[in-house]
Amino acid sequence: MARTLRLVHLFPELLNLYADQGNLSVLSTRAKQRGIEVKILPVKLGTKLDFDQADLVLLGGGSDREQAIVGKELLAYRQDLLSAIDLGLPILAVCGGYQLLGEFYELPSGEKVPGLHLIDMTTHAGKNRLIGNIAIEWNTNAQGAVRTLVGFENHGGRTMHDYPPLGKVVKGFGNNGTDQKEGVQYKGIVGTYIHGPLLPKNPHLADHLIRNALRYRGYSDDLGDLDDRLEWEAHHSILNRMQIG
Amino acid sequence: MRIRSMIGLWLGRATKFALKISGRSGTSLPGLVAGKVAPHLLQDLMAQLTEGVIVTGTNGKTTTTALLYAFLSEEESWLTNRGGANLHQGLLATMMSTSTLSGKLRIRKAVLEVDEATLPKITAFYHPSVILVTNVLRDQLDRYGEVDETLHLLKEGTEYPGTSLITNGDDPLAMSLGISRSELTYYYGFTQVPEVTSARADVRDGAFCLLCGEELIYDYFIYGQVGAYHCPNGHFQRPVPDFGGKYDGATKQLLVEESVSKDNQVYAIASPVKGIFNQYNLLAAISAARILGKSPATIRKGIVNYEAPTGRFQVFVGTPLRTLALVKNPTGANSVLRAMEEDAGEKVLCFAINDDDADGRDVSWLWDINIEEFLPRSFCETWICTGTRGLDMALRLAYAGVDRSKINVLDKLSQLVEETSGYVLPVYILSTYTALHPLSELLRKGVTNG
Repeated sequence: MARTLRLVHLFPELLNLYADQGNLSVLSTRAKQRGIEVKILPVKLGTKLDFDQADLVLLGGGSDREQAIVGKELLAYRQDLLSAIDLGLPILAVCGGYQLLGEFYELPSGEKVPGLHLIDMTTHAGKNRLIGNIAIEWNTNAQGAVRTLVGFENHGGRTMHDYPPLGKVVKGFGNNGTDQKEGVQYKGIVGTYIHGPLLPKNPHLADHLIRNALRYRGYSDDLGDLDDRLEWEAHHSILNRMQIG
Repeated sequence: MRIRSMIGLWLGRATKFALKISGRSGTSLPGLVAGKVAPHLLQDLMAQLTEGVIVTGTNGKTTTTALLYAFLSEEESWLTNRGGANLHQGLLATMMSTSTLSGKLRIRKAVLEVDEATLPKITAFYHPSVILVTNVLRDQLDRYGEVDETLHLLKEGTEYPGTSLITNGDDPLAMSLGISRSELTYYYGFTQVPEVTSARADVRDGAFCLLCGEELIYDYFIYGQVGAYHCPNGHFQRPVPDFGGKYDGATKQLLVEESVSKDNQVYAIASPVKGIFNQYNLLAAISAARILGKSPATIRKGIVNYEAPTGRFQVFVGTPLRTLALVKNPTGANSVLRAMEEDAGEKVLCFAINDDDADGRDVSWLWDINIEEFLPRSFCETWICTGTRGLDMALRLAYAGVDRSKINVLDKLSQLVEETSGYVLPVYILSTYTALHPLSELLRKGVTNG
């Protein structure tokens, strides 16, 4: 059976601070290379949202000003989102998009901007920004030789929650620089501070998200192998530079 | 001059001399030493200027400054910080280079490129006759800091009476600097462009009205957020330019139409630069030269003296013909790619991408370069990637649809000259900041040896 995936990219005109369309490009290219038909649905501010029409949702990062606009817009859809998340809707939320999933995030001024409160998570403002290359050990049952995820982080917020993280920090800061946790995995949600963008150098995570979306849609989650030599070379070159492994 | 400034000047001079006899030169150390000892030295030197022009903005500062310097120095001596040393110590090194031991400037007119964040620190003690703004774009160095902050610094550096502000009317962010000023504000902009690129999906930062937050409506885009825009609520619109440009790509002539005075002039200037973003730099430089009283005839004479600064579409003659271009943010990189489209022949394209502090440690911006739209017009048979982040660039190309078998990744920058020496096709090298000077050196040597 021909498989079709609908990738919903939320507010690309506002949330594009860390090249989030790079993640979209990786997901869509890797799906297409497996013969899956891909429909990319960019949603602009003011458009009516229908999460029944989504198999995977991408929420990127923007400036504080832009994130506040997005938060307000999405608040009207909170119930829809909660129901969809209960059914297992895969969501990839990066940086600002990740913070937006929680109860609130605090600006450097001390002002608390309400989030969507989809999960019990809070983000407080830190003194300094946490910036640099990061490597984590992915918390997963997925098959494969590589267990690390690599990328770049740049955030002032310190995020706290009690869910399973995306992974354990090997080098870098992660959610808050203290508890060794990076990101969140809850139902279909993958939230993370890692960009660079996240997926090009982490093809195993990209395929994991595609499989989640296929299963969510009721398809077989079989994915054939791709030539990922360049991807792994780039992945390992970051690990080498960070003197890991 | 303050005693302390004098001591700073002497120490700076001594440092320079010491570096020279030990065979090292061209560092910013003399400026750094002098500035540390004498915090007011730059102020004391700049106070002697009878005429000062500051060029600032995100992209195009170095090229615009070099063009303007060529026009201004045609008839008299001007000082300039050639090569982009645009922070406090670089400016100080430039001023010290022409001062006597007693701290008197030999040349009293200067055209200086100044970094956006340094600008308000300079204008706190020195008000130039003219400030020229090229554009306000997202830079990879301060992605989280947002353009809002840059705009704030520029506003602080331009909001006082007595200085002429010449700014880009086609860029809503650069234009906004002029809104609250009542006098001595001039806009330049293009009234006709060779290719109007309405559909291009570039990263745009200024695409929202600064007053009501509504998305700006564009009749057309030229590059990035630069184009013909207006706010749907009537707050904000592209002004009619005081210096309007029409660029003819076939004859490489820039036609300038002025609407700034009673005897509005119209004149054509032969453009020595490539790409629409560089035509903006040229128009900006011409506008400033005109405000400073230079005639079109002087500009035409002066333009012959223009030399492309290091890595600003710098051509290394030989076989193959190699062109080196600095890229430091997506809008700049897109502009360079668009300029390369003017060369519709087959070519070899190289990317030298480093991630040192001066390049930006975060290479996310590579994914904002619009490779997808460039690809069908690229006529590119081989793609070479190098630098500390060459692999990131290679992945960027692969996911844009470049055939993986045509992508060659080199471990070391130094391999680039040898790797490309077998080609007769023109070679274009797009390089980030810290790879630029090493590459320029290698290419200069490679060409001489070849």
